[in-house]
Amino acid sequence: MSALSINPELSSVSASDEATIAARARKRARQRKLAIWGARVFLAVLIVGGWQLLTDAKVVDKFFWGQPSGIVTQLRDWINHGTQYGSIWLQIWVTMKEALLGFVVGVAAGVVVGVALGQNRFLADVLQPYIKVLNAIPRIVLGALFTVALGLGTSSKALLAAVLVFFVVFFNAYQGVREVDQNLINNARVLGASRMQVTRNVVMPSALTWIIASLHVAFGFAIIGAIVGEFLGSQKGLGLVIATSQNNFNPNGVFAAMLIIAVVALTAEGIIGWLERRLLSWRPPSTIEAGAI
Amino acid sequence: MVSTLARPADAKTAGGGNARTPVPAAPAANIELTGVTKRFVSPTGSLLTAIRDVDLHIEPGQFCAIVGPTGCGKSTTLSLVSGLARPSAGSVRVGGQEVHGIATGMGFMFQADALLPWKTVLGNVAMGPRFQGVSKKEAQREVREWLRRVGLSGFEDHHPHQLSGGMRKRTSLAAALINKPSILLMDEPFGALDVQTKAIMSNELLGLWEETRPSVIFITHDLEEAVALADKVVVMTVGPGTVKGVFDIDLPRPRGAVQEIRFDPRFLELHHQIWDLLREEVQRAYERTATAPNNDGGSR
Repeated sequence: MSALSINPELSSVSASDEATIAARARKRARQRKLAIWGARVFLAVLIVGGWQLLTDAKVVDKFFWGQPSGIVTQLRDWINHGTQYGSIWLQIWVTMKEALLGFVVGVAAGVVVGVALGQNRFLADVLQPYIKVLNAIPRIVLGALFTVALGLGTSSKALLAAVLVFFVVFFNAYQGVREVDQNLINNARVLGASRMQVTRNVVMPSALTWIIASLHVAFGFAIIGAIVGEFLGSQKGLGLVIATSQNNFNPNGVFAAMLIIAVVALTAEGIIGWLERRLLSWRPPSTIEAGAI
Repeated sequence: MVSTLARPADAKTAGGGNARTPVPAAPAANIELTGVTKRFVSPTGSLLTAIRDVDLHIEPGQFCAIVGPTGCGKSTTLSLVSGLARPSAGSVRVGGQEVHGIATGMGFMFQADALLPWKTVLGNVAMGPRFQGVSKKEAQREVREWLRRVGLSGFEDHHPHQLSGGMRKRTSLAAALINKPSILLMDEPFGALDVQTKAIMSNELLGLWEETRPSVIFITHDLEEAVALADKVVVMTVGPGTVKGVFDIDLPRPRGAVQEIRFDPRFLELHHQIWDLLREEVQRAYERTATAPNNDGGSR
């Protein structure tokens, strides 16, 4: 602090120092990443291997809890010979079709109603108690109603999925619209924007952050809706495969179907994450990284 | 916030003209507030009077600064002129016409950046003309012209978060001026800037204002800024705010560098006069906060 003129020797020393410090920091970051991946693999091996060993040693009964090797055999069997309701790909496709249809309908309805109520305080106040009541109902029960009313086809499952998705998206869209910076709205209005232009240019993009955040959860709900719907009554689909396995005392079948659903859900999650990064690319990088965790 | 959007038929022409370097100056409008009172009713039913019996007259093309302690209803006055809010009593007239809803031909600069974070600088500044129905191509041409004028050429594709505070202010300024407003309302626009950037922005504002000469209401709590920029300084009392004094600033125009005019003897004289009046109000506002329930300011 005391030296006003900088010693050239000193600055060159510190420059090379900085280079080594940076290199060291990079190395440390690399090592950390490696350690995390190592620990992840170790954890997977520990759980799956432990499961296999404990069931082999008859500490845990594989009749109730299944066995990893049995799950693999079951999956191979399904892929090679299909299930009793047709090929496994058909079951996946049927469930996905129901979930996607419900997801699209639920998201669209949730966004429209959420944005509308978010901008109309009177309507929001009027409908508030009813929405709370609807939200308090265990909506899975509606599945029974839909199966009776709409039959065993796609529509009853899609509707159940849509109802589950709707509330998640609706609450986020509603909150997102309410949180829009009033300054931004006033500014747009002063610049001559009509009501529609304010909604399109300010309110919707601002609420989009909230809406997209809800999509991660919403897709999970869509799959739950489809599977539960199939459980309650259907002729095809992964939910039916699970129900059949359950009735045949075949835990490996349940786990195998669960594994398939997990893979499908992770893929969808990846697509939503990609969409999020595309649509919200304007955000400063730090928020995107935090959102990715 | 439901209001009728009064949009006269000639609004379309406001943004459509071709923007050559000397901007075709929109005819500046005069602003007249007579006996204006604004009350707010809180959801619990208690009544708050923000401003009471405000009389204010601003000539066309005049630069008027309003100073006053915090909570004296300065921002309320602006929202009444802009049509974002309606007076509880009295009349607000712009260009001889009663204000009903949001009028066109107005520029507004807020204290916080009112820039859309998801739009680029180009998109943000283009909002004004686009809302007026100007074609995208034409709007972009106008925007580039304005960005050049505020010294932001080359930053068209940046998002607001990539800009410094001063650059964001320039963007806001371009966005507020691009529709060639006949009145420009500014609510502590440079309040959040550091002193140096504030001085630079003040100079640029004066330069741009002298080109187009809209009527300006400029709200600030910084008396030096007010005297350096304005033709007329209005001192407001502590809330419920009303006009306590009006001072004509007879410093010659163009003012030149804002930093240097501060040493002008006439500037100091005016500053001194106005401060005498303002001090009392600031003192009262301070005492009010100091005697507030959690009394921690009293000992200082």
